[in-house]
Amino acid sequence: MAHSFRFLDDIALADLAFEAEGDSVEELFRAAPRAVLETLADPASVAATWERRITKTEADPADLLFEWLSDIVYWKDADGVVFHDAELSVRQEGSTWRLEAVLRGASVDQIAQTLHNDVKGITKHLYVVKQEGPRWFARVVVDV
Amino acid sequence: MKLNTEIRVNKITDEVWEIPVTEKSGMLVPARIYATSSILQSMDRGVFDQVTNVACLPGIRRHALCMPDGHWGYGFPIGGVAAFDLETGVISPGGVGYDVNCGMRLIRTDLTLEDVQPKLDRLMTELFRRVPAGVGAAGFVRLNRDSFDAVMTRGARWCVEEGYGWHRDLAHIEAGGCIAGADASTVSDHAVGRGINQLGTLGSGNHYLEVQVVSNDRVFDPETAAALGLAGQDQIVVMVHCGSRGFGHQVASDYLKTFEKAMRRYGIAVKDQQLACAPFRSVEGQDYFAAMNCAANTAFANRQVITHQIREAFAAVFGKSAEELGMELVYDVAHNIAKVERYPEGELLVHRKGATRAFGPGSPGLPPLFRQTGQPVICGGSMETGSYLLVGTDRAVRDTFGSTMHGSGRTMSRAQAKKTIRGEQLQQQMKQRGILVKAVSMSGLAEEAGFAYKNISEVVETVDRAGITKKVAELRPIGNIKG
Repeated sequence: MAHSFRFLDDIALADLAFEAEGDSVEELFRAAPRAVLETLADPASVAATWERRITKTEADPADLLFEWLSDIVYWKDADGVVFHDAELSVRQEGSTWRLEAVLRGASVDQIAQTLHNDVKGITKHLYVVKQEGPRWFARVVVDV
Repeated sequence: MKLNTEIRVNKITDEVWEIPVTEKSGMLVPARIYATSSILQSMDRGVFDQVTNVACLPGIRRHALCMPDGHWGYGFPIGGVAAFDLETGVISPGGVGYDVNCGMRLIRTDLTLEDVQPKLDRLMTELFRRVPAGVGAAGFVRLNRDSFDAVMTRGARWCVEEGYGWHRDLAHIEAGGCIAGADASTVSDHAVGRGINQLGTLGSGNHYLEVQVVSNDRVFDPETAAALGLAGQDQIVVMVHCGSRGFGHQVASDYLKTFEKAMRRYGIAVKDQQLACAPFRSVEGQDYFAAMNCAANTAFANRQVITHQIREAFAAVFGKSAEELGMELVYDVAHNIAKVERYPEGELLVHRKGATRAFGPGSPGLPPLFRQTGQPVICGGSMETGSYLLVGTDRAVRDTFGSTMHGSGRTMSRAQAKKTIRGEQLQQQMKQRGILVKAVSMSGLAEEAGFAYKNISEVVETVDRAGITKKVAELRPIGNIKG
């Protein structure tokens, strides 16, 4: 199992929360956006006709993941899209972490797509990114 | 009495409970919770932890308050009210709520249930078509940066000048639909990018547009109801619940980051990162206040454009103009905002998060229109159980910084609600009970099932008995649009 995520039932009464994990920072960065994408819409119902390249650097992987997830929310509103998938690489360059990603999706289509919840923002409530043994782990609460 | 906390809670009256300052290190004032004993017992642990955290914030006055619909929120509890000294106190996005000026609007009509019932399906279809809802939905109003700046600074006033509403609507909106002190230069391009296409959209989550009935037997104060335009007699009204959408949230997110750094500079320590704040008089505090007012004005504008669309939909279905149908605005009120208001202590910055302003008759802050009745307070229940129109009281001004409840408050997580019922099943059950629901997302619909919320009637009875608002009428849903 390179990466996975699961939604949490017992925190964030009015909102949504998930845990994501991966074999590496990069795998964690693949797992967490899948939870956000699925909160918005079923990715299988969304075509890949819209594309955006995203590059970000931060000193801390926790800050980088927060910014990466927040960017997904931004493009959802700014371009009126939901998402099919994201390809990415994450690497450490000296004292900083660098994300290069391609986010793919399509304009919202209420007939063709299975839409779920609008996400208003990624929050820092109970926000955690940490390494546990060989695996990287994140807990994220999403404001819907 | 078993509560979801180890914190000691003392009874003041049947509806007011107090946590003394000795219960948590750093508390500057006691915390007060408005609740019956049964509501208090149902409140989650977060309410007690968070209201006492708020009581530790610099410059807080009198009490940190929580209303009976309170539950866990980010930083402040939902239902939280706190007032701060302008010179020594702070401003906090967590005390405003991230959906700035999320609020309620009520529109009356001259139509009755008998008029609407035969055309309800067509009406809901027309409303669903004209009022975009759900994830990623864009509004029909095309804005550029200049016109969006005008929306930010002039709110509902801009809409009326552009033809989206009537001039007399403005007198029926808190602050006339335009809060002074909004400065578009304090708002990031990122926030503008999220908001510029969303004017006139509902969003999703617990936001909705609802067609409701006012029955004679659910009018509790006929004189006040009549003064506000409600006659009973199975009259049809329309309620809207939404806010500043992604724009307001981005304003909050931007300033949370700013405040995290500012707190170090000003030596402010908080018990929860989501309580990030800055001195109100600091540059950062003033910038956030100006940006928050931009978001508040945008929310007023959002509900104004939606009102225009509702009027158009009714006119199309009933073949009469909105004026002929008597579609006047009853009121529009914010329940996520911070405002400078005058109290015996002087001017204070009152944060209301999931709480509604409830000024009593004669309050100098009210326009003459509501000096006899008190300010209308619109409280939305779950889509299955109904909503309420109330009015503010002088006691609220004395006891709760002119504040009261805003809705029913969740008791069940979204995940649990979805496990309990499917959206299609709920839609069918509601149809059998005479409530027609149009929803963009069936899973989102299941999350908003009535059983996931407190009984709004018990919450309303609490604030009525506590004297901080007075019941006017209950509004029963017959049609609902959800994102």
